[in-house]
Amino acid sequence: MFTQKVVFIGGKGGVGKTTIASALALRCQQAGERVLIVSTDPAHSLADAFAQPIGDTIITLMPGLDALEIDPDREVVAHIERVTQSMKKFTRPDMFAEIERQMRLTQQSPGAQEAALLERIATLIDEAPQQYDRVIFDTAPTGHTLRLLTLPEAMAAWTQGLLRHDSQAKQLQGVLDHLTPKAGKDISNPFSDAREHQLSNVDQRAADITTALLKRQRLFHRTRHILTAHEQTALFFVLTPEKLPILETVRAVNALRKESLPIHGLFINRNLPQHADGEFLAQRRAQERVYRGEIETQFAELQRHYIPLLPTDINGIHGLQSVIAHLPW
Amino acid sequence: MNIKAIRSWFAQANAYATEVYNAPYRAAIARAKRDEDDLFMLLVFSELMGVPNPASYYTLELQPLLLERFHEWHQRMGIEHSPLDHFRCC
Repeated sequence: MFTQKVVFIGGKGGVGKTTIASALALRCQQAGERVLIVSTDPAHSLADAFAQPIGDTIITLMPGLDALEIDPDREVVAHIERVTQSMKKFTRPDMFAEIERQMRLTQQSPGAQEAALLERIATLIDEAPQQYDRVIFDTAPTGHTLRLLTLPEAMAAWTQGLLRHDSQAKQLQGVLDHLTPKAGKDISNPFSDAREHQLSNVDQRAADITTALLKRQRLFHRTRHILTAHEQTALFFVLTPEKLPILETVRAVNALRKESLPIHGLFINRNLPQHADGEFLAQRRAQERVYRGEIETQFAELQRHYIPLLPTDINGIHGLQSVIAHLPW
Repeated sequence: MNIKAIRSWFAQANAYATEVYNAPYRAAIARAKRDEDDLFMLLVFSELMGVPNPASYYTLELQPLLLERFHEWHQRMGIEHSPLDHFRCC
């Protein structure tokens, strides 16, 4: 078995990401590990795979296996509620309705859900490994996940820029203080007290801004660090021996390599077994052979694991057992 | 006139002389600081200007902290009245 604690399962829609992720989680649990499986797809299907309700709070499916379906909407609402509360301190009560209307609109703004989701994932990556031996992420279809995996970089760069300007302004303030050594001090000044009070308030604000930014920045840096570390994170792609999933996986693998994110291997799902009979299926099998050949040349340097097409739907923990039998570990 | 009064007189004179000497530098530095602050505000409130902000979710929580500076800023930026619907400062 591989040793990375953080595992991401990605791939095109409908290739069986959730099934593979669930089977892998169950396999790890059977090996005696404490496992957390997390679905980041806004259209969750983890509960369907385990045939058990799962929600936005971590629940225990069985001893050693916990599950979570992240609900970004809830996170966004909570975040905006916090901002609205502090906003209200600065406005007249008759404006409250207006503020709330504006904030409701912000909830719908593009990027808000994404950012909330990223925040949850970052916190999980940061904290969950202390409690679990393995954290498995069942992700949304490729494009969404790629964006999510590269977002910490962009966010860190952005907060970095803000912090730099903030610290430059502070430096200049320092020079300014030096140039007015006695402002409000020493010389008798009836307003000195009031002024000091006002200044300390502003200083507190400035400190709050820096603290808020630094908190984000550190979280993004830690996330980024764990995501790019080969010994800590393993990314798997699931695809089927068909044309479109192969093309999409090639693009995704290239994009992730550019971001130096560690790709651990591929799961090639739903291969027709040899014993499937009939001329139609024989033809289909010949076609799959061609695509498998292509997969082998395109992804020669990646580990490839083949999972056969199973005769029945995979349903619940019992159904997942039949997938586990085909896992390489 | 006792020694204490003379001392205090010198201290005051010294303070004023320092202020006068520093005045031009102070103005320059203050301007530079204001420019930095303005840029920071622009980054936080960039969406007002139609610049998409990749981290708007995170800058949202900075906005309440910056509201006190907001009025001066938008006037300096040549916007006479607050462009924010939800925060009317003037």
